Amino acid sequence: MTAAREYWRIALGALRTNWFRAVLTALGVVIGVASLITVTAVSDGASHEIAASIQRLGANVVEVDGEFISVGARQSATDRTITPGDVAEIAKLPEISLVAPHQDIESQVISAGRHQTNTWLVGMTPSYASVYNQRIARGRGITDADQSFGREVMVLGLDAAARVFPGQDPIGKTVRVGSHEFEVIGLQARRGQLADENLDNRIFVPLRVVTRVLIGGVNVVHLSVRAASASEVTPAEDAMSEVLLRRHALPPGYPEDFSTQDQASILEEGQAASTTFKALTFALGGISLLVGGIGIMNMMLVSVHERTREIGIRKSVGASPFMVQAQFLIESLVLSTLGGVAGVLAGIGAVSAIGSLAGWETLINLPSLVIAFAVALAIGLLFGYYPARRASRLDPISALRYE
Amino acid sequence: MGGEAGASVIELSGVEKAYDSGELTVQALRSVSLVIREGEFVAIMGPSGSGKTTLLAILGCLDRPTQGSYALVGEEMSTLDETRRAHVRGERIGFVFQAYNLLPRTSAYRNVELPLIYAGVPARERRSRVLEGLSEVGLSDRADHLPTQLSGGQQQRVAVARALVMRPSVLLLDEPTGNLDSASEEEVLTLLQQVNREGATLVMVTHSNEVAERASRIVRLADGAIVSDEPVQRTLALGAR
Repeated sequence: MTAAREYWRIALGALRTNWFRAVLTALGVVIGVASLITVTAVSDGASHEIAASIQRLGANVVEVDGEFISVGARQSATDRTITPGDVAEIAKLPEISLVAPHQDIESQVISAGRHQTNTWLVGMTPSYASVYNQRIARGRGITDADQSFGREVMVLGLDAAARVFPGQDPIGKTVRVGSHEFEVIGLQARRGQLADENLDNRIFVPLRVVTRVLIGGVNVVHLSVRAASASEVTPAEDAMSEVLLRRHALPPGYPEDFSTQDQASILEEGQAASTTFKALTFALGGISLLVGGIGIMNMMLVSVHERTREIGIRKSVGASPFMVQAQFLIESLVLSTLGGVAGVLAGIGAVSAIGSLAGWETLINLPSLVIAFAVALAIGLLFGYYPARRASRLDPISALRYE
Repeated sequence: MGGEAGASVIELSGVEKAYDSGELTVQALRSVSLVIREGEFVAIMGPSGSGKTTLLAILGCLDRPTQGSYALVGEEMSTLDETRRAHVRGERIGFVFQAYNLLPRTSAYRNVELPLIYAGVPARERRSRVLEGLSEVGLSDRADHLPTQLSGGQQQRVAVARALVMRPSVLLLDEPTGNLDSASEEEVLTLLQQVNREGATLVMVTHSNEVAERASRIVRLADGAIVSDEPVQRTLALGAR
């Protein structure tokens, strides 16, 4: 249609006449689109980071935790319910490729010279390193020999090392844990965060030292296993539960003295809070788009009112209701398109600013840009429709006489 | 003057128009019947409130009669929907208003071009027709001027060019010289007479006898009814006496 191009010209001309008002009106759409893009990029970045952490920290990991239960008898915090026999039997399950019993002391002060810090101590075997993809940056890791001889040696996380040995090379130095002295044999390669936990503040010693020397006994609270494949994660959880229930032979009515959880779900739990946050921010972005749309509608209604006489003139020279409607609809569409384009650019700018200032991982994907832009267009159409309809229905005579 | 023996362009029969304003019903037109033929220049006169503007609005398809029929070049107008009426206004009717009614901040060229755009005339053809139209009213050198840069008489000539650009069946004029000084009035009336001599059918509402004298026929309204309808004396006088 030859007239379509003319409508664009007319619409652009009308916007140019009132360009400052048009810019202010489009600003609502700009902010809405930009915030939608920013929220999506930040939360996609977080999801991507979590997926990467799962791969980095060991995929298909299931953790079994012994639970303290006090029914009838008193139990102390040192009671551990997972026995070497449990571990041996679980290791035979076909669904499981690796078992790593470990004993954690979640708050342990360590010191070297006059420096001290609070850490998370893990009593581990070499299989723990395999299950969790632990890598050694310098020195060596915990070996089978360390474990069998109960050597008082230690691998430090990088943050823990920096606190007790600021500006020094920790390898070969001594760390005190209570009255015991450990030789630092290695530094763990940087691991980052798992949900809220700083994995670089952990320290590692042979399991045997923790169970026999620091605490006493042979049982443990934690058992981490790696399932043979992703599809074996749930069967592995079921099979382990079955073994533990049978071996622990709990009295009837007694609650289970252990729980199982796969690492992915731990991560998802950590993400749940950020999902709520995302939903909230997304809703705010949506609301600002809505407000932007109302702004467009408001401006278009004012514009229709101001141009009543113009509409009358156009109708008198042959503009049909459809043509008048098309003219005003294109005007609001142009507004929302400009707002959408500016919003996409502002969103990309905001995302890269957040990435470099806050250091968060962000991920802009094309579909989210397209969707945000399409929503802006839809808003323009939706909120431009009523004013355009109103313009098209003006009575030509009263429009012509309007002063 | 124009061809008295031409085919009928406008046929009104028994046209009534009533406005509801609350409890009061105003009868603006009562049983108006009128035939206007091709090439005529008809002046419609009457005191204010006599219904002459209402009559012009009905002729221009800007308003509908409450009763009666209106045929433009043989086609019934009173039953058309709004879109069809818009097409008729654009293609078969040209309007010239007292207040010029040019689009503000829009050049003379763009104003004259408007009806061509709405009629879907291709861009290349539009250009030659707009330039031709402006030259007919003697404003070729004012194509790029905005209405505010033109005198009243020039603005009204642009309006005449816009009204004629689609070669309409009839030109409707509502007090076309009401806002003009006497020099500009003469300029516009001369132009209208020239357009009429070239074959256009003109219907003009005016309250001025002097202006009406330029037409070939005067229809007088009072209280919404036609009270007289006669050729302008001057032409008859010249012929008879």
